[in-house]
Amino acid sequence: MPERVSRPRAVPYVFLAPAIVLFVLFMAVPIGYTAYLSVRRTKVSGLGLGRGARKEIFAGLDNYAAAIGDGELWAGWLRVIGYGALVLAVMLGFALLFALMLDTKHVHLARFTRISIFLPYAVPGVAATLMWGFLYLPSLSPFGDRPFLSAGAVTFSMANVAVWGGTGFNMLVLYTTLRAVPRDYYEAARIDGAGELQIALKIKIPMLIPAIILTGVFSVIATIQVFTEPTTLRPLTNTISSTWSPLMKIYRDAFVTGDLYSAAATSMVIAAISLVLSFGFLRVVKNRAFGET
Amino acid sequence: MRTNRLAATAAAILATTLLTACSGGSAEPSSPAAGSSAAPAAPVKLTYWSWVPNMDKIAAVWNQAHPGIQVTVSKQAGGDDAAAKFLTAAKAGNPPDLVQAEYQMLPSFVAADAVADIKAETAKVKGEFGEGIWGLVTLGTDAVYAVPQDSGPMMLYYRRDLFEKYGIEVPKTWEEYAQAARTVRKKDPKVFLGTFSSKDPGWFTGLAQQAGAQWWSISGDAWKVAIDDAATGKVAGYWGGLVKEGVIDSMPYFTPEWNKALNDGTLLTWPSAVWGPGVLSSNAPKGKGKWAVAPLPQWNAGESLSGFWGGSSTAVAAKSPNKAAAAEFADWLNTDPEALTALIKEGAIYPASTKGGALLTTTPDYFANQPDFWQQAAAIGATARGFTFGPDVNVTYNAYKDAFDKAVATKSDFTAAVRTMQDVTIADMRKSGFTLAQ
Amino acid sequence: MTAVTTLTRPEGHARAATRRPFGIAPTAVLVLGAIYTLFPVGWVVVAATKSKAELFSTPTFAPGTGLLSNLTDLFAYRDGVFWLWLLNTVVYAGGGAVLSTAVSTISGYTLAKYAFPGRDLIFNLLIGGILVPSVVLAIPQYLLFSEIGLADTYWAVLLPQILHPYGIYLARIYTQAAIPGSLLEAGRLDGAGEWRLFRQVALPMLTPGMVTIFLFQFVAIWNNFLLPFIMLGDDHKFPLTVGLYTLLAAGANQPSLYNLIITGTMLSLVPLIALFLTMQRYWRTDLSGGAVKS
Repeated sequence: MPERVSRPRAVPYVFLAPAIVLFVLFMAVPIGYTAYLSVRRTKVSGLGLGRGARKEIFAGLDNYAAAIGDGELWAGWLRVIGYGALVLAVMLGFALLFALMLDTKHVHLARFTRISIFLPYAVPGVAATLMWGFLYLPSLSPFGDRPFLSAGAVTFSMANVAVWGGTGFNMLVLYTTLRAVPRDYYEAARIDGAGELQIALKIKIPMLIPAIILTGVFSVIATIQVFTEPTTLRPLTNTISSTWSPLMKIYRDAFVTGDLYSAAATSMVIAAISLVLSFGFLRVVKNRAFGET
Repeated sequence: MRTNRLAATAAAILATTLLTACSGGSAEPSSPAAGSSAAPAAPVKLTYWSWVPNMDKIAAVWNQAHPGIQVTVSKQAGGDDAAAKFLTAAKAGNPPDLVQAEYQMLPSFVAADAVADIKAETAKVKGEFGEGIWGLVTLGTDAVYAVPQDSGPMMLYYRRDLFEKYGIEVPKTWEEYAQAARTVRKKDPKVFLGTFSSKDPGWFTGLAQQAGAQWWSISGDAWKVAIDDAATGKVAGYWGGLVKEGVIDSMPYFTPEWNKALNDGTLLTWPSAVWGPGVLSSNAPKGKGKWAVAPLPQWNAGESLSGFWGGSSTAVAAKSPNKAAAAEFADWLNTDPEALTALIKEGAIYPASTKGGALLTTTPDYFANQPDFWQQAAAIGATARGFTFGPDVNVTYNAYKDAFDKAVATKSDFTAAVRTMQDVTIADMRKSGFTLAQ
Repeated sequence: MTAVTTLTRPEGHARAATRRPFGIAPTAVLVLGAIYTLFPVGWVVVAATKSKAELFSTPTFAPGTGLLSNLTDLFAYRDGVFWLWLLNTVVYAGGGAVLSTAVSTISGYTLAKYAFPGRDLIFNLLIGGILVPSVVLAIPQYLLFSEIGLADTYWAVLLPQILHPYGIYLARIYTQAAIPGSLLEAGRLDGAGEWRLFRQVALPMLTPGMVTIFLFQFVAIWNNFLLPFIMLGDDHKFPLTVGLYTLLAAGANQPSLYNLIITGTMLSLVPLIALFLTMQRYWRTDLSGGAVKS
């Protein structure tokens, strides 16, 4: 018997070992390495052409000061917040609408429409943006000569790509949640004379709120990390700069202008901001979802 | 007790699995290098990153003739992506042995200590190249950092049929080009003579070269940066004026939209480089036989000057364990007649080697109506001005895209965009610690 | 309102007749949604039939005549490297998703069913991983993989994608919903070991959830671009996304091979659509778990 008592003590750690090892190797160590890089920089001497003309030196918090002091980064945050609010509202609104419609009685073509609306989930972001990019270009667009990529419209055009790609997934999350609700819940309401609309508004939506919060959190995180859509659209228009979103700035520093150290510092700043932005949401979800444990 | 042992065993198993996985993988790439130095019988294996089409077929010719040195080509996303990837790989310590390096990126590679000095190995092929081209791989130093592969002297592509239709002469000067742009707009408001691309810094650099710009130069032990010099200001002001006037379009090159315009005759000219036929035939198949080539318009009547857009070289990675073998392949690839013929035929490139010109005998299919295409190209190539690239061209080029994107979108002053490029470049070099001449 | 009918025959005809007007509006909304989502996909299918000359000159939705030559060109490109890319993608996505599902399931199960010191910390750390953008991790991961000599190998793409915060989150939720604690206790009283409990009691009950996690992770790896783009140098190890990108960014002086990209994109959708259609019956499971447990 003493064995049975002692057993569970080590077991959870053994079971979690693969995840923990992977976390340490592919998350913690790289993050630590990023932190290390963020306080370093290169120092060139003279023309910088000969052997050993370039050294890596300790930079203190210079990179952080530069990252925080860069107005472009904050302008990028503003753009992303505007874009994110748009995507979030439209995408979750559509997802909720479609999920409720799928869950009504006597809906036709449910299977076909569900698969169709979910289909964009299977399309890689680069491919989705390229497809829409083709459709946005005035000379190729079937919508005629509309300036989809002009300064005023480009945020909406980008948001459209994200909404297109994300609605189906969120719809499915909400829909499966609805399916898990025992049907008698609604029958009771119907007996009381409630119509489908009232059932949707008064029973289904309140029941969906935890799931909406969950999809909301994941969507917020995804929009903060927006990168693929603007990067892929950028060659087609002159309204998206190389620092349009904070992540694009990191990519530019690391890959285009070759300043890994600035990129590392900006990465740390972004990770910190993401943490703060998402923490509140995450808490809410945790309380909702794990309240009972 | 038992459970603790279980935990320990599991951890040990996991650790050994990971270790074997790691060592198994790491032994693989390093073994050929070790083998080659020990036993000469085993062939040297080289990897080569390039984005030239069909480069694998050209390497196969070499592999056939040189069983001792086997080259594997890995086709990459081209241009900036390839350069960024190579720099990252070099930093991480596992670059390919050979890499295609655009001339403007070579100084960045050298500054990052990513490419080897192959002066000794290339001494025998130096005579095969013109002085201007050779300067691009020596950067004006005593070292040699690559073997030139192709070059891109700039010329003007124009729609001969539509020029006749609208009654326009081929412009000899930029002033005439501007006049022609206005004429075209008057005759057909749907058509543009040309477009200013805010996405192609290499193109703008070539035009600035033609005007006599010299953005970087070395004086003693210091870099002199003059991106906002008078010549560049003249070029920027000229195009800015045309865009503002609305007689020149502002869609970027190499977009689907631009392809369409090339096809359907709504764009009449493209100031481009000698490699243009490949792009035109692939992106504008409908224009076959309709496009023709002429020298770039000049700043002063009677001059005949040009610049370079594009062109690349073959460099050897500083960390390659087989530098001599790699340099030998680079020499062969860019000077051997058999290799050059293959580069022209399979890779659709314009060789930098002077011997290459003689091999260009068949007029590109697309320009069948212009039998003197290569003679034209050779004559124009001889007029292209030399240029020195600095150690952070990537920063400058990125600044070009951002600054000119904005300038084009708001139709604001193009010379201000050039000043932004200068400021950004100087700031970056200062931050890194380069010595700058005042 | 026919309350009695509702109670006894919820799907009865009388009810259907009175509710008919409501059936039209939802259907219409869903069909509009489907049109919106299928629209660009339809464009890809049409565009894949266009020849080089037609792609940029014929009306957007006019079918072309070049499908066969596009397919031949794509399959002939670099001696059929497209098939290799497809195979690689299947290996990355399939292998990665299997490993990821295994790790997610056992982790989620453990976090849900055991109380132990540090549980919340471990859970928060694992879930917190979702906050770190892949762009941030990619370079350090690459440098570290180079350090141990694994850059430019299949492992470099497989290993970093095994740990998936969302998968662990879902597995934990599923476990809470699907496996009553009493069942495990009963198993323990019968003398079953912890591993056997997991293998023989928990795993069968978690299968639908595991299918979901597998699919999510399969799609995520299938669509991933940045990690393989940075990790891989040898184009024979590329997955489809990176391979097709090399056709798009063909480099200065080289035309983008739009026909091949579009045809390749269209073909790359086929396996995923097939996967969805075959697996979709499993997707009825509650994906959020936040709602009422059934």
